[in-house]
Amino acid sequence: MTYAVSKKGNINMELLKQKLLSGFNGLDIQLRDDQRMFISTEKESILSLLSYLKNEGYEHLALISCNDWINQEKFELVYILSAYMADDNHYQEKEKRSIILKTNISRKVAKFMTITNIFNSAEPYERELHEMFGIIFEGHPRLTPLMLEREYEVPPFRKDFDSQNYVDNTFGKIPSIAERKEGTK
Amino acid sequence: MKILSIFISPLLALTIGLLFLGISRKITARIHWRYGPPVIQPLIDVIRSFSQKSISHGPFFDFGIILSLTSSIVLIFFLPIGNFYAMTSGGLIAFLYLMLLGPFGIALSSAASGNPNSSIGVSRKFLLALAYEVPLLLVLLAVMTHFNTISLVEIVNIQASTGMAFCSWALILPGVAYFLILPAILGVRPFEIVSAPQEISSGPVAEFGGKHLAFYTLQHALQLFVGLALFVDIFLGGGTLFGLLNPIAGTVWALILGVIIFLIKMLIVLIIGLFINAVFPRFRIEQAMQYLWKWPTLIAFIGLVIVVLIN
Amino acid sequence: MDRNQIRKWLKNLGKMANKYSFHVVYFCTGCGIIEIPPSITTRWDAERFGIIPVATPRQANLFLITGYVSTKTLKAIIRTYEQMPEPKYTVAFGSCPINGGMYYDSYNTITSLDKYIPVDGYIAGCMPRPEAVFIGVTHLWKLIDMDKADGYKRYREDYTLYRANQEQLFGELGWPPLFQNEKYKYSNSQQTI
Repeated sequence: MTYAVSKKGNINMELLKQKLLSGFNGLDIQLRDDQRMFISTEKESILSLLSYLKNEGYEHLALISCNDWINQEKFELVYILSAYMADDNHYQEKEKRSIILKTNISRKVAKFMTITNIFNSAEPYERELHEMFGIIFEGHPRLTPLMLEREYEVPPFRKDFDSQNYVDNTFGKIPSIAERKEGTK
Repeated sequence: MKILSIFISPLLALTIGLLFLGISRKITARIHWRYGPPVIQPLIDVIRSFSQKSISHGPFFDFGIILSLTSSIVLIFFLPIGNFYAMTSGGLIAFLYLMLLGPFGIALSSAASGNPNSSIGVSRKFLLALAYEVPLLLVLLAVMTHFNTISLVEIVNIQASTGMAFCSWALILPGVAYFLILPAILGVRPFEIVSAPQEISSGPVAEFGGKHLAFYTLQHALQLFVGLALFVDIFLGGGTLFGLLNPIAGTVWALILGVIIFLIKMLIVLIIGLFINAVFPRFRIEQAMQYLWKWPTLIAFIGLVIVVLIN
Repeated sequence: MDRNQIRKWLKNLGKMANKYSFHVVYFCTGCGIIEIPPSITTRWDAERFGIIPVATPRQANLFLITGYVSTKTLKAIIRTYEQMPEPKYTVAFGSCPINGGMYYDSYNTITSLDKYIPVDGYIAGCMPRPEAVFIGVTHLWKLIDMDKADGYKRYREDYTLYRANQEQLFGELGWPPLFQNEKYKYSNSQQTI
């Protein structure tokens, strides 16, 4: 099932910018080097914006990432999309276009909607954000830990996670064999 | 004479087999432009394996590898090494039966160990044995028809007077076919499918440690010896040198020279095989079966037809 | 290298054979795995010393831990170490198994490997060059000569202490104890620091 990728589509980022500004409100769009488009928006319009961009041909969800702005008490979710350009035989890698979407969600109550209905490949990215930052994605089919096996009170990638303290309390508290021998003797 | 052979043949075969394993590692290393281990390295490996505590998975695990090693040693008795031979009856037919008992013993141990990699290795081993048995049987049938006997000792003695069988018109094609399937019998690349360390964690011997591994290394050395020795005996007139040794037949010198000539011939065949081993990757099992059932079988079959027509 | 001194071989066959035939478990931890293939291939040939990688721990007697050890890898390392037949030797590469190295304050890597399995020697560096690997192997030979490379004996004697450390880190271990001996009793209430 192919959408309208290709030459007549939205290779031209200026055209896409005009379309988006006329279609949605509350967007803040910047273009850099005619290859990357940065969109900042409210969190309510993310889902409709993502479906619209997917219909326009940007079917590849490259990454979902998160920044922790602890002083402003918010998490900034970043979605990076790009186009596969499957119809174009002369597509060069250096012509790749990406769209970078940013939203803010609150830090105290870290909850957001999942986008697995639109992009199926978002499932492991959201699991990773859940175990590393503690963000709960509502509607996600399987929100279990992806890589870690231990329990942490504060999720490890947050800025108020004191790693040296954690190491001293868990790995540092385990005695060496000589110390254990003296203790039991 | 027979008592001497019964004692000397297995010892000679074990030492020479381990030495040939070491020589193959050294020559492969030199082909790769590096130095390589010393030639006695497999002996050091065997001694080290014996000094380790082994872990057993049950009585069949212990029994299988002992069965395999014993059958390889009994196989040596049927093989004339120079002028040492212990058994003259049975000849090639008994040889063919006993050759399959070695892999069977290892398969028994591997099945008892319970590792899934071992079972994949065992299935590959039996498929490969099935693949190379067909051209092997055709070659041996051609040889038996040409020389009109099944005794290996008589085959060697006939070649002493008429020259090497590889150079005669009748047996050149079976000789070429046997040379093509020799890597599959020995288990060297490109047919190193059974014990593929990177693919299936060493195949059937994945759970062998300590004494079991030592016995397996000895059995591997004996299998290498037997595969090469059969080729030298049947096609290259093992132990005799165009009838030059007939004047001094029966003396101690004849015995020693016979063994030395035999070993030199085996070394030449081994080195030619090593040149192929060092630069080839591995086949897949279905590629190996397709190859072994196509070209060597064809060549052996044409050779058999020619032999029957000549005689 | 005293591999060609026949008198030493005749005196102590097992020890000399253990020294000159190291079969390494091809277990690729951490960053140091990039330093193992150059050591065993043509340019810095390790097969001259008798070192060759094997595929299963049942056939091996040297365990190289190359680089940082995360908690998931530590479970696999303990299980592999317990499968090797004795006598066995462990050598740790790099600075991460010594004191945590570059990841000293990471939420997921352990800081000292000697608390969980016995280590016979360390090769410092981040990562050590292949020449450092060979110097480490010759030092290990000297230790074996002097009977000081007894990591496996320590593991057997102090097994309850090692297991206590492992259980304190992981909680519940999924495999039963390897040795059953009661030489050092311990209880969870005794935290000895």
